[in-house]
Amino acid sequence: MGTKASEKGHLPNRLGIKGWVWGGNYTLERYLYTLHRLTGLSLLLYVTLHLAMNGFRLGGVESWEDLMSVFGMSGFKVGEYLVAAAFIFHALNGGRLMLQHLGYTLGKPKPPVYPYVDSMRRRRPIVWVMLASIMALAIYVLVAFVT
Amino acid sequence: MSETRLKILQYITGIGLFLLVGTHLIVSHLSGGEPTAWESIAERASSSFWLAFYILLLIFGLYHGLHGLRTIIIESIPRLPAKVVDWTLVTAGIAIFGYAAYIPISAF
Repeated sequence: MGTKASEKGHLPNRLGIKGWVWGGNYTLERYLYTLHRLTGLSLLLYVTLHLAMNGFRLGGVESWEDLMSVFGMSGFKVGEYLVAAAFIFHALNGGRLMLQHLGYTLGKPKPPVYPYVDSMRRRRPIVWVMLASIMALAIYVLVAFVT
Repeated sequence: MSETRLKILQYITGIGLFLLVGTHLIVSHLSGGEPTAWESIAERASSSFWLAFYILLLIFGLYHGLHGLRTIIIESIPRLPAKVVDWTLVTAGIAIFGYAAYIPISAF
């Protein structure tokens, strides 16, 4: 393994972006990681566009109202909801990741009895609590958007 | 700054964003009324509370977003020197901050 990364003491990232789609036979948490990154990148793109659009405010009331009339179209409303849903997922999954990185929800160590279960394959109730909360909040926001 | 400190800042800005973006979403989309109407925009633009709120949201959002992007770039393209990535993103962050902060400050 003579790659630059391994010389620096890091393991080489052999899977690269492909690993986002299929990293191996892991539990749901491995793929929530992919979704976390995708929602993060989508939110970053949205924020960049949002900031660029805010510049129309400097053009005065006419320029602003012209822009808002475009955003009133139904296609933009769907996009707006998807952004809100991405935010809900990213925020709640980020909270779960924070708790896991800091060790609070990793679970207690267990004796290595066959069949071995490593940290990546352990099933944790917090994942299901988080997914249920995301669903509930996404439905609430959908109702608020529609009504 | 060490990677641990950068990561802790990522957590702090993440918690801050949850509160700030949550407030922004509730005020702008879920509270009824016409939050994007010019009168409403002009009213918020003259408030020092909303000016401070948007600047803080901008700082937290830029740090959180660009640090997340840095993590993805460094992990996905390990051949790229980390310093090049860092300085490119810091420069982009300062430029975006300058442009985005100018809008509410000039309207205040």
